[in-house]
Amino acid sequence: MLESRELTKSFGSVVAVDHVSLKLEAGHVYAMLGPNGSGKTTWMKMAAGLIKPTSGQILYEERPVGVESRRHIAYMSTEPYFYNWMTIRDVGRYYEDFFEDFSMERYKELIGRMELREDMKTRTLSSGMMAKLKIAVTLARDAKVYMLDEPFNGIDLLARDEIRTCILQFASEDKILLLSSHLVEEMEAVADRAIFIKQGHLEEIVDLETMRTEYGISMADRYRQIYGHEEVTSNV
Amino acid sequence: MFKLMKYEFRKTQATKLILLAIIAIAEIAFLIGLYGNYDMTAGLSIVALVFLSFLGVFVVGLESITILHRDMNTRQSYMLFMTPNSSYKILGAKVLECGLSILLAGAFVFALGALDITLAVAREQGLNSLWEMIQNFLSHITINGRQLEIDAPILAATFLNILTSWIMTIVSAYLAVVISAALLNGKKFNGLISFVLFLLLNWGAAKLLGLIPDTMSSVATLLVYVAVELVLSAIMYVVTAEIMERKLSV
Repeated sequence: MLESRELTKSFGSVVAVDHVSLKLEAGHVYAMLGPNGSGKTTWMKMAAGLIKPTSGQILYEERPVGVESRRHIAYMSTEPYFYNWMTIRDVGRYYEDFFEDFSMERYKELIGRMELREDMKTRTLSSGMMAKLKIAVTLARDAKVYMLDEPFNGIDLLARDEIRTCILQFASEDKILLLSSHLVEEMEAVADRAIFIKQGHLEEIVDLETMRTEYGISMADRYRQIYGHEEVTSNV
Repeated sequence: MFKLMKYEFRKTQATKLILLAIIAIAEIAFLIGLYGNYDMTAGLSIVALVFLSFLGVFVVGLESITILHRDMNTRQSYMLFMTPNSSYKILGAKVLECGLSILLAGAFVFALGALDITLAVAREQGLNSLWEMIQNFLSHITINGRQLEIDAPILAATFLNILTSWIMTIVSAYLAVVISAALLNGKKFNGLISFVLFLLLNWGAAKLLGLIPDTMSSVATLLVYVAVELVLSAIMYVVTAEIMERKLSV
């Protein structure tokens, strides 16, 4: 289980994440939703151990995230982060060197499905190709937690379908998948739970099936309710 | 640790290859000068080789600091801090790779220098006369009223001292870079403060080294310098790694 307790992160006078307490359980695909600057990326980076919280805690299996949790948490940042001297093959070797759960075979398969070539230099990749590479290398790990920050950004429709298929293949009872995106409709097809974040605060975590059957609204409708659009008036 | 070191080396590979290529050009020029009797060419290439040996060691250290700065302040930092490695290992790999590179560069330049001297002597006069010439030259040099003595232990201790003092300088720069990235990030005059801190650390280290009495033999004094520099490097390494572990957000 991945859990944050009263987690807060400030950058100077700006509070990016404000006392957020939530629990993510295995066997679910979570959509983390919120407008730009709502704190989604900061929360994920704290869970990945890249950013230190100002206060509060973030725990993986009841222990603070750190070196050990990085063995089990696969994080895909929204920004490109590979060394610019690397080819796509080098990226795979790097992950193979550092992550025991990385499968080179699976990586090669995903690279092929994403229509990338191993000899391509990462510095020459278009933004769409880079996004595909990040997804391929992250999903080639057999991690317990996957956190994909904006996985559909800069990717064409067909590739999005491919990525959605890959993500769903990885959903299983012992894994947590956490995805953030502005493309709410895309997320609706993948996620079974939604986390709404607004200005650094946790608004709510909802079970999408319950929301649909009991309240008759979709994730997109709820998004509009929370973030200020008035198309839907029903309450959850 | 070895895997981290492998990638640290890979990051600096291009610069090292360029340095090697320039040294190779200077060496070829020296050999052409020596065997073609172009004294000016041979002389200039020796000057270039000596200059390059110092420059090489300086560049290796400087690049290591620049890479650490990049690894702290750009998205490439994720490549390190996403992996299941502690800050101690990440930093340790950097220090070891840099130290080993300097050591190997020094040994390489030393071996090349020895080879060139041997070749020159074999061609010109013979080894003994050259050694006599060097001894004669050194006998005229005195430091603090004492005649300079050069033998193998002094040379080895001097080389070791240069290595450890340069590593100490690099580790102090690491500490300044990490303080800048972890504690002063986003603050005014961040870069200036960390540079002043680097100067202060080195000033403090120099003051401490100045306290070592000069009453022992030259070799013993140099070895005490080496020991103090290693202890100071270790302290700064631990402080740097702890700051990274507790405070650094990338």
